[in-house]
Amino acid sequence: GDSWGIFTFLCAALCNLPALPALNCTEELGAGQSIQKTYDLTRYLEHQLRTLAGTYLNYLGPPFNEPDFNPPRLARAERVPSATVDLDLWRGLTDNARLAANYRAYSRLLCYLRALDGQAGTAELRHRLGHFCSSLQGLVLSIAGVMSSLGYPLPAGPAGPPMPSGTPVAPNDFLKKMDDFWLLKELQTWLWRSAKDFNRLKKKVPPAVVTLRLEARGF
Amino acid sequence: DSHTQYERVGADVTMKCGSMDWDAAVTWTANGTDIDESHLNGSYLILKNVDLTQSGQYSCYEGSSWHLKYQTCLRVGTPPKEPVLMCRSNNYPKGFYCSWHLPTPTYIPNSFNISVIHGTREMVCEKDAFPKNRCHVRYLQLFSTVKYKVTLTVTNALGKNSTTLTFDEVAIVKPDPPESVVAKPVPNNPRRLEVSWQNPSSWPDPESFPLKFFLRYRPLILDQWQHVELSDGTSHTITDAYAGKEYIIQVAAKDNDIGTWSDWSVAVHATPWTEEPKHLTTEAQITETTSASTSSFMPPPTTKICDKGAVVGSGAVAVCWTAGLVLAAYGVLFI
Repeated sequence: GDSWGIFTFLCAALCNLPALPALNCTEELGAGQSIQKTYDLTRYLEHQLRTLAGTYLNYLGPPFNEPDFNPPRLARAERVPSATVDLDLWRGLTDNARLAANYRAYSRLLCYLRALDGQAGTAELRHRLGHFCSSLQGLVLSIAGVMSSLGYPLPAGPAGPPMPSGTPVAPNDFLKKMDDFWLLKELQTWLWRSAKDFNRLKKKVPPAVVTLRLEARGF
Repeated sequence: DSHTQYERVGADVTMKCGSMDWDAAVTWTANGTDIDESHLNGSYLILKNVDLTQSGQYSCYEGSSWHLKYQTCLRVGTPPKEPVLMCRSNNYPKGFYCSWHLPTPTYIPNSFNISVIHGTREMVCEKDAFPKNRCHVRYLQLFSTVKYKVTLTVTNALGKNSTTLTFDEVAIVKPDPPESVVAKPVPNNPRRLEVSWQNPSSWPDPESFPLKFFLRYRPLILDQWQHVELSDGTSHTITDAYAGKEYIIQVAAKDNDIGTWSDWSVAVHATPWTEEPKHLTTEAQITETTSASTSSFMPPPTTKICDKGAVVGSGAVAVCWTAGLVLAAYGVLFI
C-alpha cells in the first residue's frame, strides 16, 4: 500500500547519511503506540538539548551564553520555522495539520543543525551535535510513521537535502552566531510545543481506530 | 489653606508660617498641642532629625489675633526600596499573573506602575481587584521564543525604585496545589490507604495540558517521607502503610512537560483500617452468664492481654482471639 511505499522511500532517501535509521521498514506500529513513542522522543530530545545548548552557547561565548540574553529578532532569522502560534489556532488544528507542521519544522531544523556540524569547536562538541542530529532524524522518521499509519500524505518537499540554495551566508561572525542562537532557541521551543501537540494526538487517536483504517486499506 | 508635606526620616524640616515675616509673632501647634518656643527660629518652625512620631497636623496662628495663618499635614517616611516582584503562570496556557510588595514600609502613599514587554510589543497587565498588588496578562500566542520582560516601578513623594524580571513563557508555569485531597482506609486491609484528589480549579485545560502528581506520606511518628510520582490519574492506593498508625499525606502537581512543581496541598490525615476485637466481647458475655448460673470457679474475663494499646498488628489480635476462645471453652465445660 501507500504507507509501505512511503516507508521505503524514506529509508532510501536517508540511508546515504552516516547514521542509518534503526526503523524496521516492515514494522506496522499501531498509531497509538507510535504517537506515544514520538512523544517520548520529543521529551528525550528536549532533555538532550538542554545539555547540548549549554555547551554550544558557551562555545559561542558571551553574550550568547548569558541567561538574560534577549536579543530582538532579525529578519534573516525568520527562515527558521517558528513554533509560535495563536492559541485558538493551535487548538483548532486538525490532526493532519498538527503532524504536518511538526514534520516540516523538524525536517528543516535538522538541515540547519547539520550545517553546524562541521564548524563547531571541539571534537566532543561535534560528536554531541552528531548524536543529537541522529536522534532528531529519528524523530522526523517517527512523525512520518505516525502520519502514514493514519493515512496522511507527507508534506511535499524533501526532508533530507541541504539548505535551499540562495540562502545568504551570514556577513559576519557575530551574525552567524546570532543565527546559531536562534536556531537552538527555536529547536527548544518546538520540542516544548511538540510535547503538547503529541499529548493532544494521544488523546484523540485510540489504537482501535487505526486497526480499522489499516484493514480498510487492505493490510 | 492647607496641604500635605512629605519629608524623609532623619531630615531637618523648616516650616514657614505662610506669608508671615520672619520676625512676626506666631504660635505653632502640632495636632492641637502648642509647640515650645525653643523649636522656633523667628516665625519658622524647625524640626531636626524628624522621626515617624512627628507626623501630624501642624498649624501656625498669628500671635495676638489667633488667626490661622498656615496649616500643613506633615508625613514622615522613606523613599521606596527595591520592590519584590514575582510572576507565575498557574493557569497555562491562558496567561500569567505578577504580584509585588515592598520589602519595608515607606509610611507614605506609594504608587505602582507595571510594564510587560514581549519582543517589540507592550502587553496589558490588567490589575486585579483583589489582592491589590497583582495584575494578570493574557497570552496572545503560545510557544514563544521571545522572552517576557516585566518592569515594576514604585514611586512616592520621596523617590522611586524599580525591578525587572525576564523569563521564558514556559519557565514560570507552576500550577496551584491539587484540591479536595481525601484519604480513606480500605476495609479489611490494614496496610492500605486510598488517596484521591482533584486538579486545581485554576488549571483551565487538563485535557490538552495534563498534570502529573507527586504524593508524599509518612506516619506521624516518623520524620521520613515516602514519595510516589504519578503520571496520570487522580487517585492512588498506598499499600505499605504501617498498620494502625496515623498517616499524614500531601499531593503536589506539575504540568507534564514544563515548569515547576506546585506547593504541597493541604495535609490530610488517615489511619489504615484495623480490626475491632468484637468477638472477644461476645465470648466474655457468654462466660459471664455461665459463671453466674453455675459456679464461681470461672475467672472473671480479663481484657488485660487485649488492651487497645497492645493491639499492634494482626498477631496480637490472634492472641486475643485465642484467649477469648479458651475462656469460652472453660465456661462451656462448667455448665
